[in-house]
Amino acid sequence: MRSRWLISAFSRTLTLACSHPVHCRRFSSSATAAAATTAVAVKKVTKSNFEPALEDLRLRVREADFVAIDLEMTGITSAPWRDAFEFDRSDVRYLKVKDSAEKFAVVQFGVCPFRWDGAKGSFIAHPHNFYVFPRKELPVDGPSYEFLCQTTSIDFLAKYQFDFNACIHEGISYLSRAQEAEALQTLSSAYKDEFNNSLYNLEEHVEIPLLRTADLIFTERMKNRFHQWCDELIKSPAKNYRLEENSDSNKMQFQTVFFKMRPAVLLDGFSSHQLKLIRLVLRKHFKDLVYVRSVDENAMWKKIVVYTDSEEDKASLRKEVQEDLLRNTEARVRSAVGFRHVIDLLTSEEKLIVGHNCFLDIAHIYCKFFGPLPSSMVEFALAVHKNFPRIIDTRHLVNSSHVIQYLMKRSSKSLSSIFSLLCPRISSPSLHVASNSYVKVEVQADETGSSCFNSGAKHEAGYDAFMTGCVFAQACSHLGMKFELHSPSIDFSKNDKIQNYMNLLYPSWNSGTVIDLSTGIENPDSSYKRRYPQIVFSNIVLVWGFPSNIKPKDLKECVCKVFGPDSITLIFFVDSTAALIQFSKEDLVNEFLILKDNLESNDDPISVLHPLAKLLEGGNTHAANYETYRDICGSSISKVLFVDQAEAVGIRWKTKVENGSGETQKFASSSEITPGDNSPAVKQVIGKKNDPKRQSHHQVSCEDILDSLHASKLLFEKQVRSTR
Amino acid sequence: MVASSGKHRWGGAVKQITKSNFSAALQQIKVHIQDADFIAVSSQKTGDLAASSSHRYPWRRILPIDIAETAYLKAKLAAETFELLQFAVCPFRFQGSKVVAFPYNFHLFPRDELNLGMPSYSFSCQTSFLASMAREGFDFNVSIYDGISYLSRAQESIAKERTTPRVYSSSSSPSPSVADSIFIGRIKSRVENWRNACKDPCNMADGSLAKSLRKLILGGEVYGSRPSLSIDVCSDRQVQLALEMVTHISDDLVPLVVPDKSGGAKSVRVVLTSSEEDKNLLMSEIQNLEEEQNLKVRGFREVIDLISSSKKPIIAYNCLHDFTFIHSKFISPLQPSLNEFMCSLRLVFSNIVDVSHLLKEIGPLRKARNLPAALSYLKRQFFVPIDVEIPQLADGNSNNNHGHNVLKLTRVFAKLGILLKIVPDCQTSLGQHTVPIEEYANIFYPISNSLQESEADDVDFHMDNVRKISTDDLVFIWGFREGTSAAELKNHLRQTHSVFSEDIELQLVDKTCAVVVFQKSGSAEALLKEIGSGMTNSTAPSKIISEGLKAAGYEAYKKVCRLGMWEAELADSLDCALSEPSGDLTISSGEDASEIYWSSESMIDLNDL
Repeated sequence: MRSRWLISAFSRTLTLACSHPVHCRRFSSSATAAAATTAVAVKKVTKSNFEPALEDLRLRVREADFVAIDLEMTGITSAPWRDAFEFDRSDVRYLKVKDSAEKFAVVQFGVCPFRWDGAKGSFIAHPHNFYVFPRKELPVDGPSYEFLCQTTSIDFLAKYQFDFNACIHEGISYLSRAQEAEALQTLSSAYKDEFNNSLYNLEEHVEIPLLRTADLIFTERMKNRFHQWCDELIKSPAKNYRLEENSDSNKMQFQTVFFKMRPAVLLDGFSSHQLKLIRLVLRKHFKDLVYVRSVDENAMWKKIVVYTDSEEDKASLRKEVQEDLLRNTEARVRSAVGFRHVIDLLTSEEKLIVGHNCFLDIAHIYCKFFGPLPSSMVEFALAVHKNFPRIIDTRHLVNSSHVIQYLMKRSSKSLSSIFSLLCPRISSPSLHVASNSYVKVEVQADETGSSCFNSGAKHEAGYDAFMTGCVFAQACSHLGMKFELHSPSIDFSKNDKIQNYMNLLYPSWNSGTVIDLSTGIENPDSSYKRRYPQIVFSNIVLVWGFPSNIKPKDLKECVCKVFGPDSITLIFFVDSTAALIQFSKEDLVNEFLILKDNLESNDDPISVLHPLAKLLEGGNTHAANYETYRDICGSSISKVLFVDQAEAVGIRWKTKVENGSGETQKFASSSEITPGDNSPAVKQVIGKKNDPKRQSHHQVSCEDILDSLHASKLLFEKQVRSTR
Repeated sequence: MVASSGKHRWGGAVKQITKSNFSAALQQIKVHIQDADFIAVSSQKTGDLAASSSHRYPWRRILPIDIAETAYLKAKLAAETFELLQFAVCPFRFQGSKVVAFPYNFHLFPRDELNLGMPSYSFSCQTSFLASMAREGFDFNVSIYDGISYLSRAQESIAKERTTPRVYSSSSSPSPSVADSIFIGRIKSRVENWRNACKDPCNMADGSLAKSLRKLILGGEVYGSRPSLSIDVCSDRQVQLALEMVTHISDDLVPLVVPDKSGGAKSVRVVLTSSEEDKNLLMSEIQNLEEEQNLKVRGFREVIDLISSSKKPIIAYNCLHDFTFIHSKFISPLQPSLNEFMCSLRLVFSNIVDVSHLLKEIGPLRKARNLPAALSYLKRQFFVPIDVEIPQLADGNSNNNHGHNVLKLTRVFAKLGILLKIVPDCQTSLGQHTVPIEEYANIFYPISNSLQESEADDVDFHMDNVRKISTDDLVFIWGFREGTSAAELKNHLRQTHSVFSEDIELQLVDKTCAVVVFQKSGSAEALLKEIGSGMTNSTAPSKIISEGLKAAGYEAYKKVCRLGMWEAELADSLDCALSEPSGDLTISSGEDASEIYWSSESMIDLNDL
C-alpha cells in the first residue's frame, strides 16, 4: 500500500551522489523525513475510467498554461556497458538512449496541466496518473509483444509501492501513429480479401484435388448434410431447425443460428482443411448457400454458412457483411489507440511541455506513440520539435540559472529535493514559511467519483509531474516572471528569460552538453564540470576479451611499456571485459592494432615475451577503433557482458585496422581455430591478410626487443606461477 | 484434510511461500521431500516460446519442423530471455488408493540481494503472457514485492569469492624476491610484536588508557571476542606470503582473507586464539557464518538442491522447456548442445519423467494438448480410482489459487502411473509386475506449435495427422514478397520449377519464409544441388534465382539455431547463415538427417468421420 500521506522530501543530504545518472532522479534516497501531512489528490486512470478521464483532461489541457509530464519505465539500461558515459560521442549517446526507449516499457505516465487563476493568484493543477500497459489488442503487429525489465528498476518501483497488478490487469494500452496506420491498412485489407474470397469465390484457383478417400467421404457427407439442412428449411420454415446428428461425433453437429435475419449454420470445430472442402462443396452444389467469415464481439473469426433467398438477397448480404467488417475494424483500431489519445491531445493543443531531465522520456514518447525512432540525434530532435514545439527541461533550467543555483546552494539535484527546497509551502505547508515570494499552487480534484484519487507520492508519475510543474512555476518566479501581469493566459515563449531555456535538454546526465531541439545542434553546457580531459575519438582504441585479472592499472602499465609513458591519456573500462584506451597521438591507434595482430600471428619468443603479450593471454583479446564501439552499441542485441555482446553481434575477427585510406582490414589469428570445430564462428579473413604481416615481421624494432627483455622477468615469473 | 477431485475444492490447498515464511517452509519441505515417492514441479514464467500463440517472432517458437536439437536451442533462448515468477513443488507418495501430496508454491523474484548484479541484470516479459496470467488472477505484486531471490550454483561460486572471508590454504611458493622478503620481514615483526603484546600477562593488569594506547600503536582489533590484526595487502602474491608467514609464526594464529568488492583480497586478518579448542571453536564459528550467508545467497535454490540430493523421480510437464529454465536459473548457464545439456542435467537430477511423454504411451491421449484436456479425457475413458489427499491445509486464505498446475500434474501422473503400471495400485496383488520408472525417465518430448497460427481452432485435429518425414525432404524457401499466402506461393513455385509440380506441401514459417515438404525423397536434394551449382542449361532454377527466391536445406536452419542467429525474421537469419563461409549449406547432408513429426493439414483422420 502506498503511504497515505505525502512525505515531504528532505533528502538533500541523503540523496545518492549521482553516480548513476538517469537514475539520479528516480533513485534518490528513500529516507525522507516526515515533516508534513498534505495529500495531493492525484487522479488514478486505468482502463475502466479512461474514457471519461480523457474527456475531462481535454478541457484541462485546453485551459492550461503549461503541462508537466513524467514517465515511469521498466528499466533504463539493457546492459551495464550501455550506461551513459561521459566518454560517449554524441552519436553513441543517442544510440544508448534509443536502445533504452526501444527495449523498455512505459508503465506509468503522469500528466499534470497547470492553469494560472488570476482571481485566486495561484496556479490550479490537475495531476493525472495513467497506468499504461502495452497489451496486444489487435490481431496485427501491436505496440510490443515483448519488453525488457531491468531487475533493479523493478525492485526500485516495488520499493515505492508501485502497483504492478493495476498496471498489468488494468493498464491502458496504446498504438503509435505508425502502428495505427499499419493496423488500419492490414485489417481492412485482410477483411477485404476475406470478403472477396468468401463472396466472389475468387479463390477458385486454389483447387483442391480430391485424392484421398477420407476427403471424398467427408465431402460427400457434408453435401448430404447441407442438402438435408436446406430441405428442412424449405419444408418447415417455422420450426426450430436442428439437424439430426448421430451421436458418435459431436464435432459434426450443425448449430442453426440466425445471421443478418437469415437462417445460418455456424461451422464450429472444423479443421482448416475441412473448411476448405466445405467451401468447395458449397461452391459446386449450393447456389443459395453463402460461406461467410465474420468477426464476433470477442474479435474471433466466426465461420458461417448463410441461406439466401435470391441473388439480390445475396448481394445485400455481401454489402451488409462488408459494412460490418469496416465499421468493426475502425472501431477496434480507434479503441486500441488508447493512451495515445492523450499524446495526440498534448501535440494538438501545442501547450508548453515541462519535464525534469526529460530527454529519455521524450524518446519513449516518440518510440511508443509516434513511430520508430530516427537513426540520428538531429533527425530525432527535429522530429520531436515538429510535434512538441515548446519543451522545457526543469533540470537544465535549475542547473543553468544562477539565481536558482544560488538558492539551491549545493543540495542534491533530485526532483524531490529541488521541489522541497524551491516549493516548501507546497511540499510541507505546516512549516509556515513566511515569504510572499512563493508561487501558490492549488490542486483541484473534480467532484465526480473520489474513489479514483490517490494521495500522491514520490516516484509515482502523476505526483512527479506535479512536482516538476511546481518547480517550473517557482523557477519562473525566481527568474522574475510576474504571473499576475499575464492574465488571462501566460505565453512563456514571449518571456525573454524563459526563452533562453526553451527546447534545451540534456541528452544524458553526464554528457556535458545541451541539445537544442529546434535546431538539432548540440553544444557544450557551461555549467557542467568535466571529470575527464578532452576526448579525441580518433585516438581511441577499443579492447575487449582480455584476461579478467587485468585492471586499469595493469592495462596502462602494459601499453606504456611499449609505447612510452606518455602514450596514454586515458583508460576507461566500459565493463570488466572491455576498455577504451585513448592515446596521445592518432598514429598510435594503428600502431597498437598492427602490433597486436603481429604478436598474435607470430609464435616466436619475441612475441611471447613481449610486454603486450600479457594483454593477449587467453587468445580472446580483440581490438578495434571507436567506430566499432559505435557499431556494437547500435546493435539491438543486449548481452550483459561486452565480450558476449561483441560475439553475439557477429564479430569473428580479432583485430580491425583502419588504413589511412579508410580501407579496413580485419584479422583473425590462425591460432584461433578451436579443435574439432566445424562451425564458421572461427575464422573469417577479410582483406589482404598476408602482406602486412610479412612486412611487419621486420618492423619489430630494437626497442621492442629491449622492452620485451625488460619485461621478460616479470612475465617469466607469471608463467611459472600459472604453470604451477 | 482435503480429499478432493475437483479443482474448486482445492482453494488454499497449495501453501504459498514468500520471503517471510521461506525459512520455515524450507524445514517442512525437507521432511516431505524425504518421505515422498515422487516430486512434481511446475512454474510460471514471464514469457514462453513454446506455448504462446502470439509471439513477436513466430519462427522462434518450437515448431513441428524442429528436431530435438533445434527445439533445445529454442528452449535455451527462452530460458535465457525470460524469468521465473513462481515455482510450485509437490512431493507426493502413494498410500493405498490415494496419493498424499504436499503442494508448495514459491513466489520468486530475481532481486539483487547481494548487490552483485545477480541473478539477472534484466529479463523480458511477453505482454500476451502477462495479460493471460492476469486473467487467471495472478498477483504480480506478491512476486515482485515479496518474491524469494536465488542464485544458481555457478553464480554462487562467483558470489562466494566476493563476499565471505575465507580461510586460505597456503601452499609453497617460488623463491621470494627482494621485495617479497622486505614485505615478509616487515609483517613478521609486526605480527610477532602484536602477538607477544597480547600474550603478555602483565598487560592484563593495565588500565584502560594503556590498553587503548597499545591498541593504537600495535594496530590490533577485535574479531568477535578474540584479538585480531589486519595486514593490508596489494596483490595475490602478498596474500600468499602473509598466509605462509602467519602459519610459520605460531599455531594459535588463524589467518582470514578479507575480500574487496571485486573479489580481490583487500587485507589479511590474523586472529589470535587462546588454545587448540579455541581455534577449533573459531573455525566452526566461521563455518556457521558461512552457512548462514549461504542460505541468503542461495535463496530458493536451496529447494532445488533438496530435490536434487533426494534423488527422487521428478514429474514435470513439457520437460525440455521447464528444465532449460531450471538449469539456467539454478544450476549454470546452458550448454551449447542438447547432449551436453542432458548430461549436465542428469548429474543434477537423475530421474526426470515427462508427463507429455507418458501421455504418448496411451494412444488416444496423444490428442491432449494440455493437462486439463488430458485429465478430463482420463476421467471419461478410464476408471482409475485414485484420490489426492492434501494433509496440510494452507493458512486460511482460500481464495488464493496459485500453483494449482502442480496438483493437476500430480493427479494426471497418478492416474497414468497406475494405467502404465509404473506404480502399484491397490487392486494389483503383491508381486505383480510393475514397470520401473526408469523406463520412462529422461525422455523429453518437445511440445510444438502448429505452423498455422490463424487457424488455432483446429488444434484438436493436429496430433492425429502426424507422420514422420525426414529433414532431408525439407527445403526452406524465402525471398518472396511479404504477405504472400501459402497457396499463392505454392502456385507460383509450380510455375518456376517442375519439381514443385510433384506432390508437395508448403507452409509458411513466418511472413518471410516457407517450408516445403517433398513427398519423393531425393527431390529436395536435387533441387538444392541445382540451385547451388547455378546450372545454366536448365532454365528453371535460374528462374527461381532471377526472381530473388532463395532456398536452403535443413542444415542451414540447424546452423541458424546453433549459432544463435535469432533475427526477427527467419529469412534474415537464413541469409546470415548462408553468408557465413563454412561449407555449402544449400545442400543438406544426408548423413545426419533426422526425422520430424509433420502434421499434415490436408489429412483427415478416418476416426473423425
